[in-house]
Amino acid sequence: MIRTLASILLTFGLIFSVSAYESKRVQTTFESFEQVLLTLYDKTEAGEVTYEDGTATERFWENKKNTLHIWLPHSAILEIDYQLYEAVGCLYVRDYDSAIPKIEILLGMCKNIPQSYRFSFENIL
Amino acid sequence: MGLIFIRTVIIFIATLIVMRLMGKRQIGEMQPYELVITLIIADLACIPMADNSIPLLYGLIAIFTIYLLHQIICILDLNFPWTKSVVSGIPSIVLNKNGIDDSQLKKNNLDVSDLIESLRVEGYFALDAVEYALYESEGTFSALPKSNYQQLQTSLPIVLIDEGKWDDENLKYIQKDRAYIMDILKKQGCQKLKSVLVMTVDGNGKVYLQQKGEKYKVFYLGWESALW
Repeated sequence: MIRTLASILLTFGLIFSVSAYESKRVQTTFESFEQVLLTLYDKTEAGEVTYEDGTATERFWENKKNTLHIWLPHSAILEIDYQLYEAVGCLYVRDYDSAIPKIEILLGMCKNIPQSYRFSFENIL
Repeated sequence: MGLIFIRTVIIFIATLIVMRLMGKRQIGEMQPYELVITLIIADLACIPMADNSIPLLYGLIAIFTIYLLHQIICILDLNFPWTKSVVSGIPSIVLNKNGIDDSQLKKNNLDVSDLIESLRVEGYFALDAVEYALYESEGTFSALPKSNYQQLQTSLPIVLIDEGKWDDENLKYIQKDRAYIMDILKKQGCQKLKSVLVMTVDGNGKVYLQQKGEKYKVFYLGWESALW
């Protein structure tokens, strides 16, 4: 009886802590990535962006995404990869007009992805 | 992960409810919640294993949730008997001293032929050879025979009427027609075929007749010799 109760508490505690950590981790990762993207967006809009700014954003994302693979379906991460590589490609050829919509898509994803894993009625159903 | 936890709990409860509603027919030597766990856990383990795009943690959290629910049900079973009847169900006495209890059969989505089959598997061929028969909560079948049950089943009984429906193959086998049987039914005070729950006859002419909502009757047809 005590062993069963202990196993219930332990399992519940484990699930609760993993869930809380995942929620916090995903949220903070995307918040910091959003900040980096906003800087890139502002620079692109002002025409002051360089290819190195793009690759720096790429490196930042590469660094973050390694841990995100534990928490998120890999298809969501691949979608960000795809949009980011396209945006950086546009910066390489100095096509800022094409880069801006792609960065906007990435900014939208930074908001939507953590939201789709948040504890809410519509996500449960 | 919190989502996975809640979704697993919902799926578990929904599957358990469906299993309980399906009755004992769908179970088989497992408590309903054990069957639900068996059904769900195989998929939970397989999906993250086979699909590389899903983090392994998704499967692990769901499996641990199932384990948690299992442990909670165990605790409830041991300490609160009423929860056991809600989660696992209670045994259903489908045959008693008055004969077959068709309301209990219906509750478990079973019919008279299922009961006769279960009795045969247990080694009881005549319905009147058994004092009590019940389906346990996990779907297994138990029967308590009468003390002289061996004398009561000297020949194999066959079904002539099953829940108001003729078994024409068996009628041909005993070389009698419907009018002959209807005549017997009328003599026993049964005016409508629909009111017959079950009627069997064995090779010696011993008839087991039960009308719906009434106690069973056993009588002999007075055949000159045994037919089989």
